[in-house]
Amino acid sequence: MFVQGLALSFFSSMAWCVLFNVPVRTILAGGLAGMVGFCVFSLLPIWGAEVLLSTFVSAAIVSLLSQFLSILLRVPSTNFSVAGIIPLVPGSLAYKSMLAFVNNNYVEGITLATKTLMVAGAIASGLIFGISVVTIWKGARYAGKRTQRD
Amino acid sequence: MSSDLVMDTCLLAGSIILKNGGETYRTEETMALIAVAAGMDDVNSSATPTSIILSFRCSGLDHTRMVRTPKRTTNLNKITLVNDVSRRFVSGKITLEQAYRRLREIDQEKPIYPKWMQHMAAAIASGSFAMLAGGTWFDLVPSALAGLIVNLSLEYLEQFVRMKFFTEFTAALLGGLFALLAVALFPQLHISIIIIGAMLPLFPGIAITNSLRDLLAGDLVAGVSRGVEAMLTAVSVAVATAIILWLR
Repeated sequence: MFVQGLALSFFSSMAWCVLFNVPVRTILAGGLAGMVGFCVFSLLPIWGAEVLLSTFVSAAIVSLLSQFLSILLRVPSTNFSVAGIIPLVPGSLAYKSMLAFVNNNYVEGITLATKTLMVAGAIASGLIFGISVVTIWKGARYAGKRTQRD
Repeated sequence: MSSDLVMDTCLLAGSIILKNGGETYRTEETMALIAVAAGMDDVNSSATPTSIILSFRCSGLDHTRMVRTPKRTTNLNKITLVNDVSRRFVSGKITLEQAYRRLREIDQEKPIYPKWMQHMAAAIASGSFAMLAGGTWFDLVPSALAGLIVNLSLEYLEQFVRMKFFTEFTAALLGGLFALLAVALFPQLHISIIIIGAMLPLFPGIAITNSLRDLLAGDLVAGVSRGVEAMLTAVSVAVATAIILWLR
C-alpha cells in the first residue's frame, strides 16, 4: 500500500512537471521531490503527528530538497517545488467541505473549510520555511566570504 | 555598447520570464543584472505580474521603457533557458549580441512537450492523485479521463474566452459532469474520488508558489496579486464542484 502510494506520488508529480513544461533533465528530480514529500507525509502520522504538522514538515522538506536540487542542477527551484507539493494538496478536505455546504450542513462545512485553509497555510509556511533556511545559509556563507576577503 | 540593444535584451529577457510563469522578483533581478553587466548606471527595474518597466542611464542620457505582458502561460523550460543566458552573459562568456539572438530563439521556441503529451500528463496526474486520495483501481480510469477532459476543455476554451476564471470554471464543470456520467453508468465507482482527481489539473500550483516567493522577496504587490489569482481559481473550482454536487 505504502509502495503503491510512493509510485503514485512519483507519477503524479512527474506528470505535473510535464504540464508545466520543465526541462527534460529535471523531470525525474521533480518526481523524486513529490515522492519524498509524500513519504514524509504518510510516515509522520505513525509517530502521532497531526495532519497540519505532517503537511508542514513535508512541505518544508520538499522546499529544502528543491532548493538543493536547484543548486545541483542549476535550474530555478520552482521546477521542483511546484510538482513536489502536489501530493500534499488537501483535495479530499476541500471536497468534503463543499459537500457539507451543499447539504446545508454549514457548521461542518465551515469546520472543514477552515481545516482546508489551515492545511493550505501549512503548505505555504513549509515552503517559506525551506526558502528562508536556504536564504539564511547563503547569506551567512556570503558574509563569511566577505569578511575573509576584507 | 549601444543602449538600445541593452534595453531590448533586458526587456526581452524580462518579458519571456514573466510570460512563461516566472516570479516577479526573478524578472526584476535578471533585467537589472543584464543592464549592470552591460555597463549601465542607475539601473532600476520594476515588474508587476502584467507589466515591466526598466530605466537606466547611459552616457548622460536617461532611457526608460515599459512593456505589457497580457497573455501568460506556464513554461518553466524557457525560464531556465533565460536564466542560463543571463548567467552566461553576466559572467562574460557571451556577448550582448549573442545573448539577444539566443533570447529571440528562446522566445520563438515551441513547448518541449507536444500537446497530446500534456493532456496525457494531466490524465496521469488526475488518475494517480485520485488513487492517493483513497480510490480503488476502478476509480483510476474515470478520474484520468475526467482530468483529460478538464485539461482539453481548458485549452480549447482559452482560444474563445478571454476570461481565465470563467474558463477554469467551465472546465471544472465539464469534468464534474463527466464524473456524474461515469457514476450514473457504473454505480460502484466513488464520485468523491473522481471529482477530487478531476479537479487536480486546475490546482493553481504555480500561482501559489510564485506568490509566496514574491512575498518573501519583498515584492508585496506582485505577491498579493498572485495570491488573489490563486484564490479566484480555487473559488471558481469550488463553485463548479458545488454545482455538480447539487445536481447529483
